[in-house]
Amino acid sequence: MSENMISFIIGALFGVALLLGGLADPDKIIGTLRLKDFHAMRTIAVFVLIGMLGTWILEMEGVAHFSVKPAAIVAVLLGGALLGVGFGLTGYCPGTGLACAAAGRLDALITVIGMFVGALVFILIYPSIVQPIDAIANHGKKMLPEITGISRTVWVLALSGVGFFVLLVTGLKKKSLPQSE
Amino acid sequence: MEALKVQKAPLPWWAAGLVLGLVQVLAVSLSGPLGVSTQYVVVDAKIMNEIAPEYTQAHPLISSDKYQKFDKGWWLDVGLVVGALLAALVAGRFKIRTTTVWWQINHGSSVAGRFLAGFLGGILILVGARFAHGCTSGQFASGWAQLSLAAVPFTITLFAFGMITAWLVYPKTPDIEK
Repeated sequence: MSENMISFIIGALFGVALLLGGLADPDKIIGTLRLKDFHAMRTIAVFVLIGMLGTWILEMEGVAHFSVKPAAIVAVLLGGALLGVGFGLTGYCPGTGLACAAAGRLDALITVIGMFVGALVFILIYPSIVQPIDAIANHGKKMLPEITGISRTVWVLALSGVGFFVLLVTGLKKKSLPQSE
Repeated sequence: MEALKVQKAPLPWWAAGLVLGLVQVLAVSLSGPLGVSTQYVVVDAKIMNEIAPEYTQAHPLISSDKYQKFDKGWWLDVGLVVGALLAALVAGRFKIRTTTVWWQINHGSSVAGRFLAGFLGGILILVGARFAHGCTSGQFASGWAQLSLAAVPFTITLFAFGMITAWLVYPKTPDIEK
Protein backbone atom coordinates (compact mmCIF):
# COMPACT_ATOMS: atom_id res chain seq x y z
CA MET A 1 0.00 0.00 0.00
CA SER A 2 1.28 3.46 -0.81
CA GLU A 3 2.26 5.95 1.85
CA ASN A 4 -0.59 8.26 0.82
CA MET A 5 -3.15 5.46 1.02
CA ILE A 6 -1.98 4.53 4.54
CA SER A 7 -2.28 8.17 5.61
CA PHE A 8 -5.75 8.43 4.08
CA ILE A 9 -6.90 5.41 6.11
CA ILE A 10 -5.32 6.74 9.33
CA GLY A 11 -6.99 10.09 8.67
CA ALA A 12 -10.36 8.43 8.09
CA LEU A 13 -10.07 6.49 11.37
CA PHE A 14 -9.06 9.73 13.12
CA GLY A 15 -12.12 11.50 11.65
CA VAL A 16 -14.43 8.70 12.78
CA ALA A 17 -12.90 8.73 16.28
CA LEU A 18 -13.09 12.54 16.64
CA LEU A 19 -16.75 12.51 15.63
CA LEU A 20 -17.93 9.50 17.64
CA GLY A 21 -15.72 10.47 20.59
CA GLY A 22 -17.30 13.89 20.96
CA LEU A 23 -14.16 15.99 20.42
CA ALA A 24 -15.61 17.10 17.09
CA ASP A 25 -18.42 18.80 19.02
CA PRO A 26 -17.91 22.48 19.99
CA ASP A 27 -20.41 22.17 22.86
CA LYS A 28 -18.32 19.41 24.43
CA ILE A 29 -15.09 21.43 24.03
CA ILE A 30 -16.55 24.61 25.55
CA GLY A 31 -18.08 22.53 28.37
CA THR A 32 -14.64 21.17 29.19
CA LEU A 33 -12.87 24.56 28.99
CA ARG A 34 -15.55 25.92 31.36
CA LEU A 35 -15.03 22.91 33.69
CA LYS A 36 -18.75 22.10 33.48
CA ASP A 37 -18.67 18.96 31.30
CA PHE A 38 -15.70 16.63 31.74
CA HIS A 39 -16.40 14.31 28.79
CA ALA A 40 -13.88 15.96 26.43
CA MET A 41 -11.23 16.42 29.13
CA ARG A 42 -11.35 12.75 30.11
CA THR A 43 -11.39 11.67 26.45
CA ILE A 44 -8.32 13.82 25.79
CA ALA A 45 -6.57 12.43 28.89
CA VAL A 46 -7.09 8.82 27.76
CA PHE A 47 -6.16 9.74 24.14
CA VAL A 48 -2.85 11.26 25.26
CA LEU A 49 -2.07 8.46 27.74
CA ILE A 50 -2.66 5.65 25.23
CA GLY A 51 -0.64 7.55 22.61
CA MET A 52 2.22 8.02 25.09
CA LEU A 53 2.21 4.41 26.30
CA GLY A 54 1.94 3.06 22.75
CA THR A 55 4.73 5.29 21.43
CA TRP A 56 6.95 4.20 24.36
CA ILE A 57 6.36 0.52 23.51
CA LEU A 58 6.92 1.13 19.78
CA GLU A 59 10.16 2.97 20.56
CA MET A 60 11.41 0.03 22.66
CA GLU A 61 10.61 -2.24 19.71
CA GLY A 62 12.46 0.21 17.44
CA VAL A 63 9.49 0.76 15.13
CA ALA A 64 8.28 4.25 16.14
CA HIS A 65 8.16 7.03 13.52
CA PHE A 66 8.94 10.27 15.32
CA SER A 67 8.25 13.79 14.08
CA VAL A 68 9.26 16.14 16.89
CA LYS A 69 8.55 19.86 16.47
CA PRO A 70 11.23 22.44 17.31
CA ALA A 71 11.01 23.84 20.85
CA ALA A 72 11.04 27.51 19.85
CA ILE A 73 9.85 28.53 23.31
CA VAL A 74 8.60 32.06 22.59
CA ALA A 75 6.92 31.15 19.29
CA VAL A 76 5.28 28.11 20.88
CA LEU A 77 4.02 30.10 23.90
CA LEU A 78 2.64 32.81 21.60
CA GLY A 79 1.13 30.28 19.17
CA GLY A 80 -0.50 28.34 22.00
CA ALA A 81 -2.03 31.58 23.31
CA LEU A 82 -3.45 32.63 19.91
CA LEU A 83 -4.75 29.13 19.22
CA GLY A 84 -6.16 29.02 22.75
CA VAL A 85 -8.18 32.21 22.21
CA GLY A 86 -9.58 30.87 18.93
CA PHE A 87 -10.26 27.49 20.55
CA GLY A 88 -12.09 29.05 23.53
CA LEU A 89 -14.06 31.39 21.24
CA THR A 90 -15.23 28.78 18.70
CA GLY A 91 -14.83 25.31 20.27
CA TYR A 92 -12.92 24.24 17.15
CA CYS A 93 -9.33 23.45 16.27
CA PRO A 94 -7.84 22.66 12.83
CA GLY A 95 -8.83 18.96 12.85
CA THR A 96 -12.20 19.14 14.61
CA GLY A 97 -13.19 22.16 12.51
CA LEU A 98 -12.84 20.01 9.38
CA ALA A 99 -14.69 17.10 11.02
CA CYS A 100 -17.55 19.33 12.24
CA ALA A 101 -17.89 21.00 8.82
CA ALA A 102 -18.16 17.50 7.31
CA ALA A 103 -20.93 16.70 9.81
CA GLY A 104 -23.05 19.60 8.55
CA ARG A 105 -22.03 22.43 10.91
CA LEU A 106 -21.99 25.59 8.79
CA ASP A 107 -20.38 27.64 11.58
CA ALA A 108 -17.49 25.16 11.50
CA LEU A 109 -17.22 25.69 7.73
CA ILE A 110 -16.94 29.44 8.37
CA THR A 111 -14.18 28.73 10.90
CA VAL A 112 -12.39 26.52 8.33
CA ILE A 113 -12.55 29.43 5.85
CA GLY A 114 -11.15 31.66 8.60
CA MET A 115 -8.32 29.14 9.04
CA PHE A 116 -7.42 29.36 5.34
CA VAL A 117 -7.30 33.15 5.74
CA GLY A 118 -5.17 32.61 8.86
CA ALA A 119 -2.78 30.46 6.81
CA LEU A 120 -2.47 33.33 4.31
CA VAL A 121 -1.78 35.80 7.14
CA PHE A 122 0.88 33.41 8.46
CA ILE A 123 2.56 33.18 5.04
CA LEU A 124 2.57 36.98 4.66
CA ILE A 125 4.01 37.70 8.13
CA TYR A 126 6.42 34.73 8.09
CA PRO A 127 9.56 36.55 6.82
CA SER A 128 9.10 39.75 8.85
CA ILE A 129 7.51 38.55 12.12
CA VAL A 130 7.45 34.76 12.48
CA GLN A 131 11.08 34.00 11.63
CA PRO A 132 12.62 36.47 14.13
CA ILE A 133 10.32 35.28 16.95
CA ASP A 134 10.96 31.63 16.06
CA ALA A 135 14.69 32.19 16.52
CA ILE A 136 14.31 33.34 20.17
CA ALA A 137 15.08 30.62 22.75
CA ASN A 138 14.84 27.93 20.06
CA HIS A 139 16.12 24.67 21.52
CA GLY A 140 15.54 22.62 18.38
CA LYS A 141 13.74 19.29 18.02
CA LYS A 142 14.32 18.11 21.58
CA MET A 143 12.50 15.53 23.65
CA LEU A 144 12.09 15.58 27.43
CA PRO A 145 14.13 12.40 28.08
CA GLU A 146 17.24 13.78 26.33
CA ILE A 147 16.90 17.28 27.82
CA THR A 148 16.41 16.07 31.40
CA GLY A 149 18.50 12.89 31.36
CA ILE A 150 15.49 11.07 32.83
CA SER A 151 14.52 7.96 30.86
CA ARG A 152 11.38 7.75 28.71
CA THR A 153 10.12 4.96 30.98
CA VAL A 154 10.21 7.20 34.07
CA TRP A 155 8.55 10.07 32.18
CA VAL A 156 5.79 7.81 30.86
CA LEU A 157 5.09 6.32 34.28
CA ALA A 158 5.08 9.73 36.00
CA LEU A 159 2.80 11.33 33.40
CA SER A 160 0.50 8.29 33.50
CA GLY A 161 0.16 9.01 37.22
CA VAL A 162 -0.83 12.61 36.42
CA GLY A 163 -3.33 11.36 33.83
CA PHE A 164 -4.96 8.91 36.22
CA PHE A 165 -5.14 11.68 38.83
CA VAL A 166 -7.04 13.90 36.34
CA LEU A 167 -9.44 11.03 35.61
CA LEU A 168 -9.93 10.38 39.31
CA VAL A 169 -10.55 14.03 40.27
CA THR A 170 -12.95 14.75 37.38
CA GLY A 171 -14.76 11.49 38.14
CA LEU A 172 -15.26 12.38 41.81
CA LYS A 173 -16.44 15.85 40.99
CA LYS A 174 -19.04 15.03 38.38
CA LYS A 175 -19.80 11.37 38.98
CA SER A 176 -19.53 10.89 35.22
CA LEU A 177 -18.31 7.30 35.51
CA PRO A 178 -19.47 5.15 32.62
CA GLN A 179 -21.68 2.59 34.40
CA SER A 180 -24.85 4.03 32.87
CA GLU A 181 -23.60 3.95 29.26
CA MET B 1 -36.23 23.33 17.12
CA GLU B 2 -35.38 20.87 19.84
CA ALA B 3 -34.84 21.94 23.44
CA LEU B 4 -31.51 23.59 24.12
CA LYS B 5 -29.45 20.86 25.68
CA VAL B 6 -25.92 19.63 25.04
CA GLN B 7 -26.23 16.14 23.59
CA LYS B 8 -24.18 13.22 24.89
CA ALA B 9 -21.32 12.05 22.65
CA PRO B 10 -21.94 8.78 20.76
CA LEU B 11 -19.11 7.04 22.70
CA PRO B 12 -18.40 7.22 26.46
CA TRP B 13 -15.15 9.03 27.38
CA TRP B 14 -13.07 5.91 28.01
CA ALA B 15 -14.00 4.31 24.67
CA ALA B 16 -13.53 7.62 22.85
CA GLY B 17 -10.06 8.11 24.34
CA LEU B 18 -9.09 4.50 23.71
CA VAL B 19 -10.02 4.65 20.02
CA LEU B 20 -8.26 8.01 19.51
CA GLY B 21 -5.18 6.71 21.33
CA LEU B 22 -5.09 3.56 19.19
CA VAL B 23 -5.33 5.68 16.01
CA GLN B 24 -2.31 7.66 17.28
CA VAL B 25 -0.37 4.43 17.98
CA LEU B 26 -1.25 3.12 14.51
CA ALA B 27 -0.06 6.40 12.99
CA VAL B 28 3.25 6.34 14.91
CA SER B 29 3.86 2.71 13.94
CA LEU B 30 3.07 3.05 10.21
CA SER B 31 3.69 6.62 9.15
CA GLY B 32 4.29 9.34 11.74
CA PRO B 33 2.31 11.05 14.51
CA LEU B 34 -1.00 12.77 13.78
CA GLY B 35 -0.97 16.37 12.55
CA VAL B 36 -3.49 18.49 10.67
CA SER B 37 -2.73 22.21 10.44
CA THR B 38 0.24 22.28 8.00
CA GLN B 39 -2.06 21.46 5.09
CA TYR B 40 -3.99 24.74 5.40
CA VAL B 41 -0.71 26.49 4.57
CA VAL B 42 0.02 23.98 1.78
CA VAL B 43 -3.28 24.77 0.05
CA ASP B 44 -2.64 28.53 0.29
CA ALA B 45 0.99 28.06 -0.81
CA LYS B 46 -0.09 26.20 -3.95
CA ILE B 47 -2.68 28.84 -4.80
CA MET B 48 -0.10 31.60 -4.27
CA ASN B 49 2.31 29.76 -6.54
CA GLU B 50 -0.32 30.01 -9.29
CA ILE B 51 -1.14 33.71 -8.87
CA ALA B 52 2.22 35.06 -7.60
CA PRO B 53 4.95 32.60 -8.57
CA GLU B 54 7.83 35.05 -8.07
CA TYR B 55 6.76 35.94 -4.53
CA THR B 56 6.20 32.28 -3.69
CA GLN B 57 9.52 31.04 -5.02
CA ALA B 58 11.42 33.71 -3.10
CA HIS B 59 9.52 32.99 0.15
CA PRO B 60 11.61 31.38 2.93
CA LEU B 61 8.82 28.96 3.94
CA ILE B 62 6.40 28.19 1.11
CA SER B 63 9.01 27.85 -1.61
CA SER B 64 10.05 24.53 -0.04
CA ASP B 65 8.92 21.21 -1.46
CA LYS B 66 6.97 20.38 1.73
CA TYR B 67 4.60 23.29 1.06
CA GLN B 68 4.28 22.79 -2.70
CA LYS B 69 3.16 19.17 -2.80
CA PHE B 70 0.12 17.22 -1.58
CA ASP B 71 1.92 14.46 0.31
CA LYS B 72 0.85 12.07 3.08
CA GLY B 73 -0.18 14.94 5.40
CA TRP B 74 -2.69 16.11 2.81
CA TRP B 75 -4.15 12.62 2.46
CA LEU B 76 -4.53 12.36 6.23
CA ASP B 77 -6.69 15.51 6.22
CA VAL B 78 -8.76 14.28 3.25
CA GLY B 79 -9.31 11.01 5.14
CA LEU B 80 -10.31 12.95 8.26
CA VAL B 81 -13.10 14.75 6.38
CA VAL B 82 -14.35 11.54 4.72
CA GLY B 83 -14.22 9.58 8.01
CA ALA B 84 -16.06 12.28 9.97
CA LEU B 85 -18.76 12.54 7.28
CA LEU B 86 -19.32 8.76 7.21
CA ALA B 87 -19.34 8.50 11.02
CA ALA B 88 -21.82 11.37 11.31
CA LEU B 89 -24.14 9.75 8.75
CA VAL B 90 -23.94 6.27 10.30
CA ALA B 91 -24.37 7.54 13.88
CA GLY B 92 -27.29 9.80 12.91
CA ARG B 93 -25.29 12.91 13.87
CA PHE B 94 -25.23 14.54 10.43
CA LYS B 95 -27.28 17.69 10.72
CA ILE B 96 -27.14 21.12 9.11
CA ARG B 97 -26.48 23.49 12.02
CA THR B 98 -25.48 27.13 12.12
CA THR B 99 -24.69 27.61 15.80
CA THR B 100 -24.10 25.72 19.05
CA VAL B 101 -25.98 25.22 22.31
CA TRP B 102 -23.43 27.15 24.41
CA TRP B 103 -23.51 30.04 21.92
CA GLN B 104 -27.33 30.26 21.92
CA ILE B 105 -27.58 30.18 25.71
CA ASN B 106 -25.12 33.06 25.98
CA HIS B 107 -25.74 35.11 22.84
CA GLY B 108 -29.22 34.22 21.55
CA SER B 109 -30.15 32.69 18.25
CA SER B 110 -28.46 35.24 15.96
CA VAL B 111 -26.34 33.34 13.48
CA ALA B 112 -24.41 36.38 12.23
CA GLY B 113 -22.60 36.76 15.55
CA ARG B 114 -21.66 33.10 15.66
CA PHE B 115 -20.34 33.24 12.08
CA LEU B 116 -18.31 36.40 12.72
CA ALA B 117 -16.78 34.93 15.88
CA GLY B 118 -16.13 31.68 14.03
CA PHE B 119 -14.36 33.45 11.17
CA LEU B 120 -12.15 35.58 13.43
CA GLY B 121 -11.50 32.56 15.65
CA GLY B 122 -10.44 30.55 12.61
CA ILE B 123 -7.81 33.17 11.71
CA LEU B 124 -6.40 33.10 15.27
CA ILE B 125 -6.46 29.28 15.37
CA LEU B 126 -4.37 28.82 12.25
CA VAL B 127 -1.92 31.69 12.82
CA GLY B 128 -1.41 30.32 16.36
CA ALA B 129 -1.06 26.71 15.26
CA ARG B 130 1.62 27.53 12.71
CA PHE B 131 3.48 29.87 15.07
CA ALA B 132 3.58 26.93 17.49
CA HIS B 133 4.68 24.43 14.78
CA GLY B 134 1.51 22.41 15.35
CA CYS B 135 -2.04 22.39 16.66
CA THR B 136 -4.02 20.38 19.19
CA SER B 137 -3.14 17.28 17.12
CA GLY B 138 0.45 17.78 15.97
CA GLN B 139 1.78 19.75 18.91
CA PHE B 140 -0.42 18.72 21.88
CA ALA B 141 -1.53 15.09 21.34
CA SER B 142 1.46 14.04 19.23
CA GLY B 143 3.84 16.22 21.25
CA TRP B 144 2.95 14.40 24.48
CA ALA B 145 2.94 11.00 22.74
CA GLN B 146 6.59 11.65 21.79
CA LEU B 147 7.41 13.58 25.00
CA SER B 148 8.60 16.55 22.99
CA LEU B 149 9.91 19.58 24.90
CA ALA B 150 7.74 21.96 22.84
CA ALA B 151 4.55 20.32 24.12
CA VAL B 152 5.14 21.76 27.61
CA PRO B 153 4.96 25.53 26.89
CA PHE B 154 2.30 24.88 24.23
CA THR B 155 -0.01 23.07 26.65
CA ILE B 156 0.31 25.83 29.27
CA THR B 157 -0.75 28.73 27.03
CA LEU B 158 -3.25 26.73 24.95
CA PHE B 159 -5.36 25.72 27.94
CA ALA B 160 -4.82 28.90 29.99
CA PHE B 161 -5.97 31.16 27.13
CA GLY B 162 -8.63 28.65 26.04
CA MET B 163 -10.17 28.56 29.51
CA ILE B 164 -10.02 32.34 30.07
CA THR B 165 -11.60 32.99 26.65
CA ALA B 166 -14.36 30.41 27.16
CA TRP B 167 -15.08 31.85 30.61
CA LEU B 168 -15.43 35.37 29.13
CA VAL B 169 -17.42 34.36 26.05
CA TYR B 170 -19.65 31.67 27.59
CA PRO B 171 -20.49 32.68 31.18
CA LYS B 172 -23.88 30.90 31.23
CA THR B 173 -24.03 27.10 31.32
CA PRO B 174 -26.72 25.23 29.36
CA ASP B 175 -28.32 21.91 30.34
CA ILE B 176 -25.94 19.06 29.64
CA GLU B 177 -27.24 15.55 28.95
CA LYS B 178 -25.61 13.06 31.33
